[in-house]
Amino acid sequence: MSIRGKFSLVAGLAQTVIGANAIVFAYLLYHNFLGIQAMLNVTAKDVVLYMLILIVFGLLSLISGLFLINEK
Amino acid sequence: MLGIGGAIEAGVFVMLGYAVGLAGTALVVALILCGVINFFTMCSYAELGAAIPKAGGEYTFAKVAYGGFVSFLTGWFEWISNMFYAALSSVGFAYIISYLIPVNVPLTAILTIIVFTAINIRGVEEVGRSQVLMVGTLLIILIAFVLNGLAIPNTGAFQLSSPGGPLGVIQATAYIFVVYLGAEAIAVAQAEVKNPSKTIPRAILLSAIVLLVIYPLIAYAMFRIVPPEVISGQSSPLIYVAQLSMGDLGKVALVIAGTIAALSSVNTSIMAQSRVAYALSRDGYFPKALLRIHHKFSTPHVAVVVGAVFTAVLAATGVINFVGYATDFGFIIGFALVNLSLMKLRKDKPLLDRPFKTPFYPFTPIAGIVTSLFLLVFIDVGVLSLGIVLGVLSVLAYYIRMVGYLRFRVAFGGISLGLGSFTAILAYLIGTNTMPLNGVSPAVITIIFFFLLVVSIIQIIAGFLNVTAKGSAL
Repeated sequence: MSIRGKFSLVAGLAQTVIGANAIVFAYLLYHNFLGIQAMLNVTAKDVVLYMLILIVFGLLSLISGLFLINEK
Repeated sequence: MLGIGGAIEAGVFVMLGYAVGLAGTALVVALILCGVINFFTMCSYAELGAAIPKAGGEYTFAKVAYGGFVSFLTGWFEWISNMFYAALSSVGFAYIISYLIPVNVPLTAILTIIVFTAINIRGVEEVGRSQVLMVGTLLIILIAFVLNGLAIPNTGAFQLSSPGGPLGVIQATAYIFVVYLGAEAIAVAQAEVKNPSKTIPRAILLSAIVLLVIYPLIAYAMFRIVPPEVISGQSSPLIYVAQLSMGDLGKVALVIAGTIAALSSVNTSIMAQSRVAYALSRDGYFPKALLRIHHKFSTPHVAVVVGAVFTAVLAATGVINFVGYATDFGFIIGFALVNLSLMKLRKDKPLLDRPFKTPFYPFTPIAGIVTSLFLLVFIDVGVLSLGIVLGVLSVLAYYIRMVGYLRFRVAFGGISLGLGSFTAILAYLIGTNTMPLNGVSPAVITIIFFFLLVVSIIQIIAGFLNVTAKGSAL
């Protein structure tokens, strides 16, 4: 594997992990896991908006990361 | 039997408690509403199933009517919904069986999926024979439950009322709608049905009518025995009520019925998802590997296994309400698209041979679209956001195929660069306290700042690598 290939693999993995974590975090926030809403001072009214932002961000990162991982 | 077996599912055994909390004894009304809404769309399924006797169900109907993205979207949601449905049924089975023996719910659900994956690889015909016997037993037990409830002198427990008023009834309708789903699987498996032009409409409509009669009767019989306040706290109201009124024999009988219902639904939905995945793969939307047919059993074994893996992941959550709402969401979208397909085909292909015609056209399909979409408003917000995500994914999957891999990758590189720049600005604003995070401790702010900084660097690097991919213009 070329240096660029290795670099793409590492960056892709990191981006995929960030994307997946953003989606998981969105659901943790929604279900107020371990009182996370209070910790981040997120009101119940704004949770849906934060969820939407995190999920869209997560999905875009996930897909972009997968492109890099599968680079031939 | 496939339709009734698929439709009388674990949901009716494990979801009624929550629904009673929303609608009280007016759950009977909610169940009738669900049945009527379901019946509107089942008429469309019956007409299209008889007129287009090909495997694939909703996807095939939309493909003939619209083609392109609409058919892909229909198939996509059909595929996902059936996986949610299989997960719901397997989790339901685990809850039901836990009434007799203590089990780990997610683990039992996953094992159930593994077993039925193996059965589906062997073929639908193989299980079709045993399913007739299983569904017959299920119906006998449920009818006995209803007759027992009707035979008991009314203790005064039943009075039609809803703690949440009309809104509670509608919320319960949206939640419990899933118990009517499953009969449409007949249309998906029709390539394996003899004389489909006659059998398909009869089977679909008969299933819808049987369910419309039996579910409200089950709820009515339940309320004649136990008041709604007691039922709403039960994990499996039917089994609880059966035990109260018929003793251990009733409990065991209902556990058997619940087991049959859940397992029939798992079987039907695993079969349905695999046939849809096969059809999507046949048309080039999904990888060609899903087209592989088992050399001995002549089943799409790869499609069965791939869907089962996703289903097992969903089942591992073990959360009935979430999976139930998610199943509702997918099927409601599918229902709307099937009704639209019917209307398009009536307009574009008036001479198409239709062994069965939807009565009161166009009012029936329009009523199907309006009423089912109306239920979406009352679905859990978390599930709605998941639905949006699934919709976005479907658009991406479609355009990756249509636009081409490289151009799409470069576009995503640009998006990553944008996300990275935005995250870097956000980190700067938070780090310099230009955008104060009121009520958040300084330690948490520092963690957020460094996290955003790392994320922005990774996004920018990833974006650059995607934009400069081999073969791109840069």
